[in-house]
Amino acid sequence: MTKDLETEIDPVTASVIQGALQNIAIEMGYKLMRMSYSSIIRESEDFGTALTDHEGNQLAESVQSTPLQSGPIPGYVQNVIDVFAKRGDRFKPGDVIMHNDPYGGASHGPDIALIVPVFHEDELVGFAGTTAHHLDVGALSPGSCGIVDALDVYAEGLQFKAIKVVDGGVRNEAVWQILRDNVRAPALVVGDLDAQVAACEIGAERFASLIARYDVNTIRAASRALMDYSERLMRQAISDVPDGVYKAVTCIDGFLDDPDRRDLPISVTITIDGDRMVVDLTGTADQVDDRPINMPLIGTVDIAIWLTVRSVLLDSDVYGEIPQNSGLTRPIEIVAPRGCLANPIFPAPVIARFTPGNQLADTVMKALAEAVPEQVSAGIGNLKVIAFSGLREETHWVHMEIFEGSYGGRFTKDGMDAVDTLYANTRNNPIEDIESHLPMRVTRYELREDTCGAGRTRGGVGAVRAFQFLEPGGFSVEGEGHKFPPWGFQGGAEGQPAELHLLHAAGETEALPSKVPYRQAAAGDTFLAVGPSAGGYGHAFDRDPAAVLEDVLDGIVSTESAARDYGVAIKNGAVDPDGTRALRGG
Amino acid sequence: MRLIGVDVGGTFTDIVFHDTADGGTHIHKVPTTPDNPARGVIDGVVALCDRFEVARDSIDHVYHGTTTATNAILEHDGALCGMITNEGYRDIIHIGRHQRPQHFSIQQEIPWQDRPLIKRRFRKTVPHRVAPPSGDVLVTLDEEAVRRAALELKAAGVRSIAICFLFAFLDPRHEERARAIVLEAYPEAFVTTSSSVSPQFREFERFTTSAINAFVGPKVRDYVTALEGALGASGLKADLHIMASNGGVATASMVSEKPVVTLLSGPAAGVLGGAWTGGLSGRRSLITFDVGGTSADIGIVVEGRFAEATPRDTWIAGFPLMVPMIDIHTIGAGGGSIAHRDKGGAFKVGPRSAGARPGPAAYGHGGVEPTVTDANVVLGRLDPENFLGGEMTLDVAAAERAVDSLAAQLGMDRLATAEGIVTIVNANMANAIRSRTVQKGLDPRDFALVAFGGGGPLQAADVAAQLSIPEVIVPAHPGITSAMGLLTTDLQYDAIRTAFMVSGQMEHAQIEGRFADMESALLAQYAEDGVDAARVSFKRTADIRYVGQGYELRIAVSDGPFAAAAEEALFAEFGRRHEAEYGRSFPGSPMEIVNVRVTGIGETQKIAAQGEPAGGSLDAALVATRPSIFRVAAGLETLETAFYRRDALPLEQDIDGPAIILQQDSTTIVRPGDSFRLDRAGNILIRIAV
Repeated sequence: MTKDLETEIDPVTASVIQGALQNIAIEMGYKLMRMSYSSIIRESEDFGTALTDHEGNQLAESVQSTPLQSGPIPGYVQNVIDVFAKRGDRFKPGDVIMHNDPYGGASHGPDIALIVPVFHEDELVGFAGTTAHHLDVGALSPGSCGIVDALDVYAEGLQFKAIKVVDGGVRNEAVWQILRDNVRAPALVVGDLDAQVAACEIGAERFASLIARYDVNTIRAASRALMDYSERLMRQAISDVPDGVYKAVTCIDGFLDDPDRRDLPISVTITIDGDRMVVDLTGTADQVDDRPINMPLIGTVDIAIWLTVRSVLLDSDVYGEIPQNSGLTRPIEIVAPRGCLANPIFPAPVIARFTPGNQLADTVMKALAEAVPEQVSAGIGNLKVIAFSGLREETHWVHMEIFEGSYGGRFTKDGMDAVDTLYANTRNNPIEDIESHLPMRVTRYELREDTCGAGRTRGGVGAVRAFQFLEPGGFSVEGEGHKFPPWGFQGGAEGQPAELHLLHAAGETEALPSKVPYRQAAAGDTFLAVGPSAGGYGHAFDRDPAAVLEDVLDGIVSTESAARDYGVAIKNGAVDPDGTRALRGG
Repeated sequence: MRLIGVDVGGTFTDIVFHDTADGGTHIHKVPTTPDNPARGVIDGVVALCDRFEVARDSIDHVYHGTTTATNAILEHDGALCGMITNEGYRDIIHIGRHQRPQHFSIQQEIPWQDRPLIKRRFRKTVPHRVAPPSGDVLVTLDEEAVRRAALELKAAGVRSIAICFLFAFLDPRHEERARAIVLEAYPEAFVTTSSSVSPQFREFERFTTSAINAFVGPKVRDYVTALEGALGASGLKADLHIMASNGGVATASMVSEKPVVTLLSGPAAGVLGGAWTGGLSGRRSLITFDVGGTSADIGIVVEGRFAEATPRDTWIAGFPLMVPMIDIHTIGAGGGSIAHRDKGGAFKVGPRSAGARPGPAAYGHGGVEPTVTDANVVLGRLDPENFLGGEMTLDVAAAERAVDSLAAQLGMDRLATAEGIVTIVNANMANAIRSRTVQKGLDPRDFALVAFGGGGPLQAADVAAQLSIPEVIVPAHPGITSAMGLLTTDLQYDAIRTAFMVSGQMEHAQIEGRFADMESALLAQYAEDGVDAARVSFKRTADIRYVGQGYELRIAVSDGPFAAAAEEALFAEFGRRHEAEYGRSFPGSPMEIVNVRVTGIGETQKIAAQGEPAGGSLDAALVATRPSIFRVAAGLETLETAFYRRDALPLEQDIDGPAIILQQDSTTIVRPGDSFRLDRAGNILIRIAV
């Protein structure tokens, strides 16, 4: 095992092997997405695939999927390796391992990983892994999001800690049966898990034949070269940032209807020292012992940090595609005091960590903004996940939908409108698919007019989306950003917080907080989600009046806001230069 | 019958003439005229007729591959467009699927937000809503609002209007009514309805497809009209047919209505030409490999049938497109692809290209960065004196300088660097082919690789070897394969209806009714185009998935009325295809028909096999013997290599590599260990040592 350390690899072979590894991860993703059943995987693309080496270092990941799924796979694999070592268990050809322990690398319980060890001759050479968000994992209420009242991880559903669901090629039927008996919508959940197994097996097979085509040492040398390469890119990017200490604090809503569990700070201090970066979360609120907004350090917090640093310092639009692997994260050290929101102590619940984690990502960007102002956006609008469900005879239906946010203004461009933000990048479900298959109707889906944060470049516009129940059912919500608006940058205005309203069939309207544990809905009730609009960048009086006019013509900014916020007078569909000069004070 | 095929490429417009009566074929090439491509087309056709003394009025059909629609969308230079859509849903084409194109980017652009096809101010909403499953009306269409919207758009100078209603695929009548109202108020408008362009579910993709049609429509209509007029004015009486992305041709009037069907016109003709070429040598399972200066197009032909793109994998200029298309995979790798050492020190080739200007360093137009072509020059694989049949001399020293500069950065020597460039670009191409074969359950060993375009024959043998493809086919004229392909098409029209129906609860009569409706609509279209019903045939297919899945597979429906036996066969075939494509099937799980489709084929006269080449001898063909560099096993070796003139090669004689075969429009490389022969169909067949 040591002799391969000496293997040299030429740049041509390294380049060819990198392409082949990437190709395998993409194929796994392609197959998983097409075979899976639940819309959260196949339409929202809330899944990930990756290959790792025998120690769980990531070598390649799929380009589809969402970063919060592919990114954590090495953490899952490394924990499975540790658990096996402690238990004295061994990996065998034909094994398939299921794992979703949020205190063991998993992002949270519903993101179940399936992992297949890859062998060359008799030697363990790597792993093919997939993760996917499952519709239901047997938590206290239907669906696997909006479980905002879980008291501890046991209340969050089934926990699989490095369980062989296929053992040396033999399916462990008892485990599958327990699973089937303990989740709502078992057909969908098991169908999706089967699709994951198939995708892993294809990946493992391709990985093994790639090794056979070359040899183990060449693949190992190429893997090392690949990780060193990504590490070098990241170190170089960090070196380009001026040395210094950069600090930012933002707040999450927490539970706005609960004085003891709201307005929780997230604190990020970034120290740049040459080609190293330390991200220190000291100052972040203490964990909430009995509500699941705590964030697993490995699987959520690390991904939020890496994703943001990478998107800002090695923006793929500027730097092109960069191989995503464990080398990229080596120069970044994370410090998070044990017992804070970002490093909870078992068995504190974590299932609803999605939106706090994205707020952490936003806070990392805010800290970096001071250091590299041209590479960031102003504050983003955060997201919401909502589970809709119902019971038809004895069978549950569950539908999960992620509600979009928006990006803040950027150095030279306006913010992106109505998109998933930072570590999430899922897709909505077509209205024509939802209504053809579920007792729901989408009654509105449009931009939220006249709300974006004003600035030299304006914040992105949020979306308004309404769902109506056609039969009695229920829903649960986990979201953020109802209280604290997305931050403006360099004189740009703050954006607009999100809102949520339940329009009762009977007529009255009820405002809801950003987190709602499961509750019932009547036929005819409409759920109106008003998405956040993001922060502006630079002073709005510096915005080109022609750009303001464009927004007014498009109904994105009203004539009144144009005058008040931008100092631009619009008259008869044109900029009034005199009026504008007057408004802008000369 | 006398046919002409005209393919407009980036640099040249290629013209092929064929007389089906005597089998005579002529070829001509003129420079493309980008400012007005019709001029190049007319000039070329006229020049060909004059040169070969063909009476212009004796031409029966002109088949044309055009990039008018493609360029309009790629350059974002289309009509000022408006949309009329349902109240409450004004921003479907702006929000999209709420996903960013890139995961790891703050500075990225979102095509549908940064380059909207229809600006928000021109998206008008009107009260109207229907609901699934049967299109029940929840809100009646407000006709007055439609009229008002049309007049407002007209007043704003909008020229083209897309009518996009939710669930229009269930019942096109509401969109058709709105269209009639718009045309009443604004008769000159170019009007597109989403149900006529792509009557299938997924509103963002369907509305965007409609918006693309609206965006490119007036331009294509004007072009086609002008071209028809100019052909007539030049004394041609021929019918004009335009190549569509689905692999068939459509009449000029059809394309004027639905220009969106021509977006992949050019590459589709290439796949057809490749398929035709392979067929001449009796090969029916083919991978077509068309390599130009900046990109490579890959198509798959299984047992003579083209793989069709799944609608969810089809994009143009960053926009999703839902119309039937041949599955063509394009990657940014070609002769002009630039090799470089990136920031992290890795050796990369492409996707940046030196383009036509300055082009590769060897072209002597001032290029200094090393390209794939330069690497081939350094390796001695391109004859500097005989490039493009001697039309251009290659600057070997410039190619060497370019490669040397990269070699110095990488700490490698010149030859290893040049060979590395070729190996890496070939690996990129092999990965692209793998994604369309191995990843979809197709075994490359069952295929032959047809290599064309200027660069295909240079790279093909190595790419084939990486994929264990046993044979490479190089057509007689690799540079004009697309134009030849135009003369191999039928008049192909597609119809589609979304029809959600689950196995075991199938209403056979209803499905049969939908098939029959589509067939009679297509027959009417053929009648209008002057195609005799006797020459029309139909293929029925259905898009199927397991209930709950989001992606469908297209499965052929057996002939005859749709009944229980056909259903059973259909779902059984689906299970087999699912297994083949994804590696697994789920027996016992309920399955669902999502869309039913009919493809109509209106048979036309086509180009016939070419005469047998005269055949020469090895001695006559041998131009020179020179050292060239090849990768043999793990190392590089310099080997004495024979250079042959293709037009003097002996017929049906196996010749060992290494060899380099020269002809006017391409150069073919045969590696050491491989062998080749010129067959009676005029193709070069390379046997790859695997």
